[in-house]
Amino acid sequence: MSIEIRNIHKRFGKFNALNNINLDVPTGELVALLGPSGCGKTTLLRIIAGLEAADEGSILFHGSDATSRDVREREVGFVFQHYALFRHMTVFENVAFGLRVRPRKTRPSEAEIHRRVHALLELVQLDWLAGRYPPQLSGGQRQRIALARALAVEPKVLLLDEPFGALDAKVRKDLRRWLRRLHDELHITSVFVTHDQEEALEVADRIVVMNQGNIEQIGSPQDVYDQPASPFVYKFLGNVNQFHGRVHAGKAHIDTLALDIDDHHETDNTPAHAFVRPHDIEVLRERGTQPAFSAVVSYINAIGPLVRVELQRQDNQSIVEAELTRERFRELALQQGEAVYIQPRNVRVFLDVPN
Amino acid sequence: MAKRHHVLPGFNLSLGYTILYLSLIVLIPLGAAFLKTTELSFAEFWTTVTAPRVLASYKLTFGASLIGALINAVFGLLTAWVLVRYTFPGKRLVDALVDLPFALPTAVAGIALTAVYAGNGWLGSLLEPHGIKVAFTPLGVVVALTFIGLPFVVRTVQPVLEDLEAETEEAAASLGANRWQTFHKVILPAIWPALLTGFALAFARAVGEYGSVIFIAGNMPMVSEITPLIIITKLEQYDYTGATAIAVVMLVISFILLLAINGLQWWSSQRNAKSAE
Amino acid sequence: MSSTVSHLGHYQAKVARSRATSEPAWIRWSLIAIALAFLSLFLFIPLAAVFTEALRKGFETYIAALIEPDALSAIKLTVIAAAISVPLNLVFGVAAAWATAKFDFKGKSVLITLIDLPFAVSPVIAGLIYVLIFGLQGWFGEWLIDNDYKVIFAIPGIVLATVFVTFPFVARELIPLMQAQGKEEEEAALVLGASGWQILWRVTLPNIKWGLLYGVILTNARAMGEFGAVSVVSGHIRGMTNTMPLHVEILYNEYNYAAAFAVASLLAFLALVTLALKTFIEWQSARSARTTEQLSEE
Repeated sequence: MSIEIRNIHKRFGKFNALNNINLDVPTGELVALLGPSGCGKTTLLRIIAGLEAADEGSILFHGSDATSRDVREREVGFVFQHYALFRHMTVFENVAFGLRVRPRKTRPSEAEIHRRVHALLELVQLDWLAGRYPPQLSGGQRQRIALARALAVEPKVLLLDEPFGALDAKVRKDLRRWLRRLHDELHITSVFVTHDQEEALEVADRIVVMNQGNIEQIGSPQDVYDQPASPFVYKFLGNVNQFHGRVHAGKAHIDTLALDIDDHHETDNTPAHAFVRPHDIEVLRERGTQPAFSAVVSYINAIGPLVRVELQRQDNQSIVEAELTRERFRELALQQGEAVYIQPRNVRVFLDVPN
Repeated sequence: MAKRHHVLPGFNLSLGYTILYLSLIVLIPLGAAFLKTTELSFAEFWTTVTAPRVLASYKLTFGASLIGALINAVFGLLTAWVLVRYTFPGKRLVDALVDLPFALPTAVAGIALTAVYAGNGWLGSLLEPHGIKVAFTPLGVVVALTFIGLPFVVRTVQPVLEDLEAETEEAAASLGANRWQTFHKVILPAIWPALLTGFALAFARAVGEYGSVIFIAGNMPMVSEITPLIIITKLEQYDYTGATAIAVVMLVISFILLLAINGLQWWSSQRNAKSAE
Repeated sequence: MSSTVSHLGHYQAKVARSRATSEPAWIRWSLIAIALAFLSLFLFIPLAAVFTEALRKGFETYIAALIEPDALSAIKLTVIAAAISVPLNLVFGVAAAWATAKFDFKGKSVLITLIDLPFAVSPVIAGLIYVLIFGLQGWFGEWLIDNDYKVIFAIPGIVLATVFVTFPFVARELIPLMQAQGKEEEEAALVLGASGWQILWRVTLPNIKWGLLYGVILTNARAMGEFGAVSVVSGHIRGMTNTMPLHVEILYNEYNYAAAFAVASLLAFLALVTLALKTFIEWQSARSARTTEQLSEE
């Protein structure tokens, strides 16, 4: 089932939680709402579920207006950030809850409930825990039970609020791969909220980057990482070096340097910020033909596949971060305190918006 | 603004019922007391509530309540400290029994205290030879009011002491503070709002107390007669307006105390929230 | 297995304090002695006195005092008053806690303060206000006489006064508890299709059962023991409108000390049972809180 979100506004007192949000989620897609805390992503998820009402705008499920539809009739599955498992019920009863509270007419028989709950517990690979109580489970297990419980009512849409937020790093990684596989199996339209860019980039078909109640960018993980639509998206998705300067006729002037950029050929001497990813910082022993800053190696962290090097520019003492492959690092044989040249590539420029 | 939307069901029902029940049982009857006093002119009202016998009863009621609350502040803090910090045999039993004044009917407390502190009682017989008369004197009122206020300070201070991190005390010690300085400068400021709240609760409870006091007080006009007893006496003489006038004075004082306690509790929780961060 | 160990560790961490943050033994024991002496003077000795005085004239007198008709009727009336006021305030407490803990609305803190009001009102005044409304000179006084209803100096008055003095107990217990538990579980139930009553019965009430029981026990203790408020509205008619505490007073004023303390001992016993249950509940809810804590720690 597809979800269409039209002109949603939401205020909490004086705080503008959501500002004219428009978003389409096609059937079967797995979409991530990504943003820092307080950006409105959870509020949007809760409005889709019907746990919160929008001040303005509408929600359409499969083309029909669901804005005033009660939570109970929306046929959504919701996985809460802290799971919200019923503490006093066994795992089995937690998963069976949605079936048991149905009106007598539509309630499945006891045998059918058993069959379906066990099928779901097998799906999440936790059938052996049916008799346990939530406090006796690990975080990852609780997460999967919460998912099974949400799926038990055969929802048309699955909504997950920070599904991996409360888990430690290792379990988190396993579980998000598992969720991706599960989604590929079930193809249920899913929206999940996260503040972790790595998580969104790895799991989602599409990412919706949000900030301060607005959507900054919608796109595939590749798009939002390679073509950030705003300085915010640039900074939020991965590390980035930021330079302040001016743009004039297709060149970015950063202090003494004039760097070629792809656009802004018509721009006339406008203040701007330039962004360069650490892996786009070339470190050189000798000055090349391209413009470069002279800098001193101030810190080296050679743990992992990439070597992280911090460089202090000599003109204004600011720090620039570079990432080198181990090969390149060995080739350069950098030592702390050595003088080098740094040359930014793939510079992206955003003009300062006068305010 | 548009009607607020509540997703969980039952808001109107539960709030409506709460307000209706609150109004019927508490607000309207209390309003009746205030309405009743309008039958008196202000001069009449003033004469009634400032009659010498009534004034003497305020002095006793508030004075004894204050002393009782102070005793509880000191010994309640000590009791809470001992219960939180030390181990000794029977500690759990003692801890459970601290709440006895909440659970024991006041009339029972009244006759029990009288039996113990009367001239022929277990403790009274030890005190009287030294010229200390407790039962049937204002001192007896203090004893009864100390009894009924006893759990308040202990129970408000205890959780705060429990939550106090040992690390702050260790930090104080590592900075060269001795044990008394640590208590005085680190622990006491942290538990101060709770202590004050407990004190105010004990005081407020004592001011209105009736059952435990009348048995031990002797109830001599001008000497050992508490204000609630004067209200009852007036009622028994069918002087409803007179009884109500004095009741209204006490009600107003109680409301002020309640507001003060709410303020204190708010302050206390703010403090705790800060220390928890 | 692991949980036992971690509890033990937790316990030791709390008890074993470093030398820097504890007092020398002689100070420790002096403070314990002072605290126990204080508690003895005001709590333990008076409590012991109740039972000693009750049995002073022998066991037979004791039993006789409890089974004489006036005593039995006082016991009956006390039970009736509690049996009516406890459920009333229980339903109110759940409704008030549901409204204030699960929803936000204007004037919420004022409402919570108003719920506390009866704590601040002297029991004597609690009785008085009902006399003003239902008494002979009261608002409904004439109407009640014309229709031959009796409220004051009768059972309804006693019940009303008892309801008033026990009014906040359940609500005060449940409001902070339900606020702390949040509303995620209720929302989860809602998304899964549960109705309002289903949420209340299947999710909310099981979660607050200990707090609820705690409130009920406190309400019951106060309801059975209330003296001042009931004293004002009862009229002290022996065998008719006497509750147990009032019966104690009458016997005591008649210098029938043994009988007075016999009935009082029954009330004191009730208080001790209340404390035992209370301790048990605290223990239970602390245990479930600990398991929840583990839940959030992982």
